[in-house]
Parts: sequence; C-alpha cells; structure tokens
Amino acid sequence: MKKSLILAAIALLPLSTPPIYAANPVDELLAKYRLQGADAFSAEAGKILWHQGFTQTGKIRKCTTCHTNDLHKTGKHARTGKAIKPMAPSVNPERLTKLKKIRKWLKRNCKWTLGRECTPQEKGNILIYLQSQ
Amino acid sequence: MINRSLVETASDTSRHKIRIWDLPTRLFHWLLVIAFIVAMLSQGDDRYLDVHVVSGYLFFGLLGFRFIWGIIGTHYVRFSHFAFDWKAVWHYLKMLPTKQRQHFLGHNPAGSWAIFIILGLGLIVSLTGLLTLGGEERHGPFAGMISFALGSSIHEWHEVTAWLLLGLISIHIVGVLVESWLHHENLIKAMITGLKSVPVSVFAQPLSVQRHGFTATILILVIIVIGTWVYSKPFIGPKLPDNVVWREACGECHLAYHPTLLPARSWQRMLAEQHEHFEEDLDLDDETLLEIQTFLMANAAESELTEPAWKINNSTPPEQTPLRITKTAYWIEQHQNIADEIWQHPDVNFQGNCGACHLDAEQGTFEDAAMRLPSSSVPF
Ligand code: HEC
Ligand code: HEC
Ligand code: HEC
Repeated sequence: MKKSLILAAIALLPLSTPPIYAANPVDELLAKYRLQGADAFSAEAGKILWHQGFTQTGKIRKCTTCHTNDLHKTGKHARTGKAIKPMAPSVNPERLTKLKKIRKWLKRNCKWTLGRECTPQEKGNILIYLQSQ
Repeated sequence: MINRSLVETASDTSRHKIRIWDLPTRLFHWLLVIAFIVAMLSQGDDRYLDVHVVSGYLFFGLLGFRFIWGIIGTHYVRFSHFAFDWKAVWHYLKMLPTKQRQHFLGHNPAGSWAIFIILGLGLIVSLTGLLTLGGEERHGPFAGMISFALGSSIHEWHEVTAWLLLGLISIHIVGVLVESWLHHENLIKAMITGLKSVPVSVFAQPLSVQRHGFTATILILVIIVIGTWVYSKPFIGPKLPDNVVWREACGECHLAYHPTLLPARSWQRMLAEQHEHFEEDLDLDDETLLEIQTFLMANAAESELTEPAWKINNSTPPEQTPLRITKTAYWIEQHQNIADEIWQHPDVNFQGNCGACHLDAEQGTFEDAAMRLPSSSVPF
C-alpha cells in the first residue's frame, strides 16, 4: 500500500514540476495545441501552408516572403530589409528553442501573412515541418 | 633695433644671401596656408566635417606654436622685433610710392600689422570653431558644455570671422606682391628658402641653426601626433543611453531606432497603437511595454542628446505627432538630394533602413562623418 503510494507520487512528479522535464518547447506547444483540439500533426501539411499564398491588400503574402524558399538560407524581411537568420534548426540551432519567441512570432507572422491567427492545428503542422528541417 | 634691420638702398652692388626666416617659421607658414585652404574647401558641407575639424585643429595648433615662437624664436620672427606702432605703419605707407621707401630685412610695419591681425583673428576663428563643435556636434573639448542654441549662434560668428580672416589674408598677399615688385625681391621665395639677398654692408643678425632645426622636428612630431589623435577620436560620437529590453523588442524587424529620433509624444502614440504597428501586431506584454516606454520617454528628441535629436525636435511643429522618422521635416530635408538609384539599391530596400548608409545607425549617433554609399566604402 505504502509502496504504491510512493510510486504514484514519483509518477506524478513530472506533472507537478514541468520546467525540469519540458526540455523541448516545441513538444510543449504541441501538447497545448492538442489540448486545444488539434488532431495528429503533419509535416506535409505544414510544408504546404508554408508555401501557400494569401492575398492581402492586393498582394500575395507567404511565409517564404521573408523566410525565402530555402529554409537553410538567410532570409530578408520583406518590408524592412533586415536579414533573418535561417529557419532550419539544422543550420541555426537557436531556432525553436524559446517558447515565448515561437508563440510571439507565430501570432505575428500568421496575422500578417494569412490576415488572421493560425489555428492550433496549423501551428502544430508548421512546427513539425520546421523541426524536421 | 628697428633701424638695424632697415636695408639702406645704398649704391652697394656686392650682395650676399643671408637667412632671415628660420625653418620652424617657414614650416609654420606653409602648413598654416595648407590648413586654411583645406578648412575653407571643406566648410559648408557636413559630409566633410571631419576633414574640416582636423584642419581646424591643425590651424589652431600651429597658431599656438607661433605664439610661443614669437617669444622664444629666432631674431626676425620674435614679436618684439616687429612690434611697430601705427606711426611707423603710416610713415612706411606714405613713403612707399616714393623713392625714399623703406626696405626691411624682416617684416615691414604694414606687413607686421597684417600678421598680428591674422594671428589674432585666427585665434578667434579657432575658438568659435571649437565652441560650435562642442555645441552643435557634441565633440571636442567643449562637448556638451554649451547648448545647441548657443552653439549655433556662435557658429555664425565662426563664419563671419573666417570670411574676415580670408579678407585679411588677401590683403596680406597683395601686400607681399606689391612689396616684391617695388623692392625687386621675391618675398614668396624668401618664405620658402628663408634666404634674402642683401648688400654685404648690411648687418644681419645670425640665426642659430641648431636651435631651429630641433624646434622644427618637434613641431612636425607634435602636429603628427595631434593630427592622428584628433582624426581617430572625435567622430565615434557620444555614447548614448541603451536598454536591453528595448533593443531586443524593437530591433526584431528593423533597426532599433534610437529614441532621440522622434519626440516623446510620437513614441507615446506608437506604443498606444502597438497592436497596429504599421500593420504588425507588436503584442508586447505590460511589463515590457512599461520598460520600453520609460526608456523612450527619457531619451526622446526633447533630450537633445544629439544634433539630429535637437533638429528633429525643432523642425516638428507641436501639433504634429509623426510616427515615422522618415516623415519628419528634418529627415526629408537631409535626404531629398539622394538619387532614386540609391534608394532602389538592393541593400537599401526602404527608407527606414538607416544602417545601409549610416555606419553608426545602431548606436543612434548619426554622425556626419559616418555616412557611406551602400556597397561602397567611398564616403558620399
Ligand atoms: C514580414 C516578414 C515575415 C513573414 C512574412 C513571416 N515571418 Fe516568420 N519571422 C520573421 C522575423 C523577422 C522573425 C524573427 C527572426 C529572428 O529572430 O531572427 C521570424 C520568426 C519566426 C519564427 C520563430 C523562430 C524561432 O526563432 O524560434 C517562426 C516560427 C516563424 N517566423 C514562422 C513564420 C510562419 C509560419 C510564417 C507564415 C505564416 C512566417 N513566419 C512569415 C518575419 C516574417
Ligand atoms: C513585428 C515587426 C516589428 C517590430 C517588433 C517593431 N516594428 Fe517598427 N516597424 C515595422 C514595420 C513593418 C514598419 C514599417 C516598414 C515600412 O515602411 O513599410 C515599422 C516602422 C517603424 C517606424 C517608422 C520608420 C520610418 O519609416 O521612419 C518606427 C519609428 C518604428 N517602427 C519603431 C518601432 C519601435 C519603437 C518598436 C518597439 C516597440 C518597433 N518598431 C518594433 C515592424 C516592426
Ligand atoms: C540611402 C542612404 C541613406 C539612408 C537609407 C538613410 N540616410 Fe540619413 N543621410 C544620408 C545622406 C547621404 C545624408 C547626408 C545629407 C547631406 O549632408 O547632404 C544623410 C543625413 C542624415 C542625417 C543628418 C546627419 C547630420 O548630422 O548632418 C541624419 C540625422 C540622418 N541622415 C538620419 C537617418 C535616419 C534616422 C535614417 C533611417 C530612418 C536614415 N538617415 C537613412 C543617407 C541615408
């Protein structure tokens, strides 16, 4: 009886102190999106969205407008010309390592590109796609 | 004493060459000429302000040398040697058109007055220049000690006295030419070689050669040291206040525009409208927002921390609250002459990409001397 209580406590420990175990912010975000009702995520769907064009104020906007078609290359902010470091974590290990940063940019960039915030499903798909690069 | 240097135009025919102007004085004279010409050519255009200031320092340093050399220098260049009163000047000028005109080994009375006025005026030009530099550009020994407003009114005096100086130099040159012609002696050449041809009967004070060679070397060394020190130092610009949170949050999409570039009311409005920031949603949390706001307010254009800050603030009417630096009257005026090709250059992209042309855009100082054409190291 006592033994099983201790085991149960150990099993619950990760839940009570998430920072120690939530090593990967992407996984953490994906878990959140799932809670918000997203299904299984697909890198393929993420890739399609990444290259999809949306017409805003008469012009076509894509994620690649700033990040370029090649995730391994340095991008350029379409409006200000500022250089954007490569998006692929394989060449830029700093990518997708900060939860707040990912959340902030997904919100901003979706709003500007799609004209609305992305759904949890779309966000998850994009992250899976980017992570695989 | 004065009479001793008078060359009696006797019937003497045998002449010899003697040294009148020592080497330091000759070096001083021609370096001063160069410094003055460079300063005049580089004035009026802020892009050459660095050249102007360096030539100004050189000019000032040379004057300083001349004042010392006027006391301890060799015989003919000492102030006491050519301190004539106005009666002597009048007498000299009166006799000039006649056959009895006086001929001096050193400076003649009229010439010596021109020299004293040029030296004095030169000193005023140098000092007003230093005060302008301190007030308007926040550089030099008076950096930050006087206001922009005072600096810019001194600037006017700097210009007036400089043009007066040019006028006096012209008179000096005319005088030299007239005297050269009247006495059949090339005074310009004498200032290069230091030698004058005089009748053997005339007594000339011998100059101590060792002493002036040594002084000349010191003079040149001091000028080189001051020149390189000044050139490498003043155009880095003052260190402006910085803030990590601001630089991070406002430097993500474009250059973190320094607060000095817009008035406080503009920043206030921009932050209030942070969810529609030029079609972007900045989405800053309250804590970040407050920190950025405090930093922007404290160092806005009203702080007058830099020359552009002062000018942007002055040129923006109080009823206007511009959200773009590129829409302020001062910015437009400064950039109206830039050709379209340059704006379309791939490295420029948009007007707010200040760093494409201003090397110190990140620091926010926007020094005149830190402007470069994109993809070229040639200054504008
Ligand atoms: C207008 C230009 C622009 C567009 C369009 C754009 N982005 Fe971005 N994005 C940026 C900038 C700038 C950053 C910050 C880059 C940095 O930190 O180096 C960024 C960062 C990100 C990040 C954060 C990566 C990290 O460092 O963790 C993600 C994720 C992202 N963008 C996704 C997208 C997606 C998805 C789209 C399309 C819906 C998109 N972006 C479209 C400019 C853009
Ligand atoms: C998400 C990206 C983004 C962030 C973050 C951002 N800006 Fe901007 N900013 C822009 C864009 C886009 C423009 C307009 C570019 C253009 O001209 O089309 C702009 C323009 C400006 C301008 C006008 C430049 C001009 O033309 O003179 C100022 C000033 C400015 N931003 C200040 C700020 C400040 C202060 C912050 C931080 C609180 C900030 N920005 C953060 C995207 C951003
Ligand atoms: C295409 C290149 C280019 C870009 C981009 C540019 N500038 Fe300039 N800027 C110049 C040139 C050239 C001058 C000098 C004009 C002159 O002296 O005739 C100048 C002058 C200035 C001056 C006056 C400097 C002084 O003290 O005399 C300020 C301030 C300034 N720019 C600020 C800015 C800011 C702020 C931005 C970005 C919002 C910017 N510039 C973008 C080229 C540029």
